[in-house]
Amino acid sequence: MITLVRVDNRLIHGQVVEAWLPHLKVSRVVVADDEAASSPLIRAAMALAVQSAIEVQILPLAQVDFAALSKDGVRTLVLLRDVASVPFAFQHGLAMDQLNLGNVHFGTGRRQVSPSVFLAEGELQALQQLSAQGVRVEARAVPAEKSVDLPDLTERWSKAG
Amino acid sequence: MVGLVIASHGRLADELVSTAEQIVGKLPAVATCNIEPGAPVEDLRAKMKLAVKAVDEGDGVIIMADLFGGTPCKESLMMCQRMNLEVLAGVNLPMLLKANSLRSEQMALSDMANQLASYGQRNITCASALLREAQQQPRT
Repeated sequence: MITLVRVDNRLIHGQVVEAWLPHLKVSRVVVADDEAASSPLIRAAMALAVQSAIEVQILPLAQVDFAALSKDGVRTLVLLRDVASVPFAFQHGLAMDQLNLGNVHFGTGRRQVSPSVFLAEGELQALQQLSAQGVRVEARAVPAEKSVDLPDLTERWSKAG
Repeated sequence: MVGLVIASHGRLADELVSTAEQIVGKLPAVATCNIEPGAPVEDLRAKMKLAVKAVDEGDGVIIMADLFGGTPCKESLMMCQRMNLEVLAGVNLPMLLKANSLRSEQMALSDMANQLASYGQRNITCASALLREAQQQPRT
């Protein structure tokens, strides 16, 4: 059961451990990321940061069984490094009502839409497609913050151009 | 809600709070007190009293000072004789984050202060040694 899907280029870090995990009360964190999965050091360091009662899986994107995660009863937070991974996960059975944009760093062609989120045009389009398929897209770094939804993000994106 | 006052030398207190807010969002009922070089102790004493008053909602206040034996700690201790106050020394970021979240649970002020002291200590670790152990027995 997917409790939240979050795009965060830092994957497991302070905001996730201290703010989202207690807020969401999940029992499982799944990091779907090729780079993190390929490094035993990163895997160990990230798993170490999460209290031992919570299961941690760090797997390459293509190896995650998103459909199975969506169906069982375990409350799960899915972490993805970038927006580009989201449509892939969605097409592979990730059932989500809500997509949270946490930290999406600046890059060429990206425009700022919230203090910690910068989007390229293609990413914005991908998010709009997800929204059309019934996913609520929001930018919010921590649970206590006010969320900014996709229409506002789109408007900010055009103004930032 | 239990109020929190962070008291420090230099700008540490302000920076601790703003860093904690970057991680978990705005902290309610929190005040800071700094002692600046050359400022008279009376100023700090007055600032501390104001800070405690500002965050005291009737459930008591925990002051977290930077250094055991330092002026912010000593001045806090002077106040705790007369008020519903606990004083912790050696504040660190994990301790502050925990203090913020513990406030939603019903517990005596002294129990909360004790828990925070051990939590703050537990989070001082030789992280690289833990990592080496974790690599021996991977969780993932």
